[in-house]
Amino acid sequence: MTQFTHLDERGQAHMVDVSTKHNTFREAKAQACVRMQSATLQAIAEDKLAKGDVLATARIAGIQAAKRTPDLIPLCHPLLLTKVSVELELDFTLPGVRIYTACRLSGQTGVEMEALTAASVAALTIYDMCKAIDKQMQITDLCVLAKSGGKSGDWSFDPYGTQAASLSANPDLALGIQPLTASTEIESTPNSAAELEVRFFAGLRESLERDQLSVSLTRLTSPSVAALLDWLSQQPGWQEVFTARRLLVAVNQVMVDLEHPLQAGDEVAFFPPVTGG
Amino acid sequence: MWHVAVQREAFDLNQESQALRAGRRDVGAEVSFVGYVRDFNERPEVQALTLEHYPGMTEQQLQMILQQAAARWPLLGARLIHRVGRLEPGDAIVLVLVSSAHRQAAFSACEFIMDYLKTQAPFWKKEHTATGDYWVSERDTDQQAQARWGSYRESNHE
Repeated sequence: MTQFTHLDERGQAHMVDVSTKHNTFREAKAQACVRMQSATLQAIAEDKLAKGDVLATARIAGIQAAKRTPDLIPLCHPLLLTKVSVELELDFTLPGVRIYTACRLSGQTGVEMEALTAASVAALTIYDMCKAIDKQMQITDLCVLAKSGGKSGDWSFDPYGTQAASLSANPDLALGIQPLTASTEIESTPNSAAELEVRFFAGLRESLERDQLSVSLTRLTSPSVAALLDWLSQQPGWQEVFTARRLLVAVNQVMVDLEHPLQAGDEVAFFPPVTGG
Repeated sequence: MWHVAVQREAFDLNQESQALRAGRRDVGAEVSFVGYVRDFNERPEVQALTLEHYPGMTEQQLQMILQQAAARWPLLGARLIHRVGRLEPGDAIVLVLVSSAHRQAAFSACEFIMDYLKTQAPFWKKEHTATGDYWVSERDTDQQAQARWGSYRESNHE
């Protein structure tokens, strides 16, 4: 099992000792979105809010927040940040404000918590500045976009496994995506990196008369369990099997719901409700 | 201390109990549950059943259930053994053993572990009867039994 570095062997929280780690240049980028009504976004663009300039205030709030991260996150080390940037972009297709943050330093530990904190607080500040005219704003998509430097190497956000870049620190796991083909026939071509390994158990296995199947991610309308289930139920003779009963699903041996994202190499298992004990 | 096993062979309650308490003098209570194959279920006259599981995931789920129990109650150890393959009425199928300093924690945790195992561990039973074979259906009562424990956060202060 993976060890959490913030827990000691008794499972108690502790701050990781980084005194023997080397100083390296480190950078982390993060993002968040504040989704809102288009009228609210228009008001920001025209600087018509009673509280003043939303974007300038959010930018300063994000920078200040990055510097206070160790006060907020219990096991975070205090860091001497050498650069914090907060960029705000008005996106009328959302509609909302996209926040991009970056933190840099030369030090012994990563700066992703600082970048996330900057993005969070910039988003909260936008909410605070605009809540008088829009109470239904949503803060979404908070995540680390990229990290560089340090022992774990470079990393970038890739929730659907569509870029090899995310695994550049581990070339053995580099991914390849097969070109989209028009064919929808069921193929069994295991061991290809763009494949999902789909497994079936118990009554479902007997109904399908097979216990496994490789499905290319490129055949799905989106990289999610729901899209895979759609695809399976569209196969000749399988609709009844996949829709008539309650099924459970596990991705990489952990039970998940239908919204769960998929990436190349995932093991996805479908099975009837469990009846052990 | 936190032992799980999925096996075809029978288990021995006494041996498991000794293994759980080996080298300790702080155990004040040990609760055990043994589940057996009945000769009646969805149909009368069950002659045998076959248990299928999802190797790898099963062991992980059983470990996770023990960890959840250990996070809720002050336990000293637990052993969880589930059999697979063909079993006949009267055969022991599952064993839960829990030890703690005081009885309440061990009683509650034992029941919690079984309730979670019933709905979270990937085992499936196929029953063989004189009138044919069928996969056992889920029971609403098992879902309700698990639901009453609430989420981890709600019952963290029990």
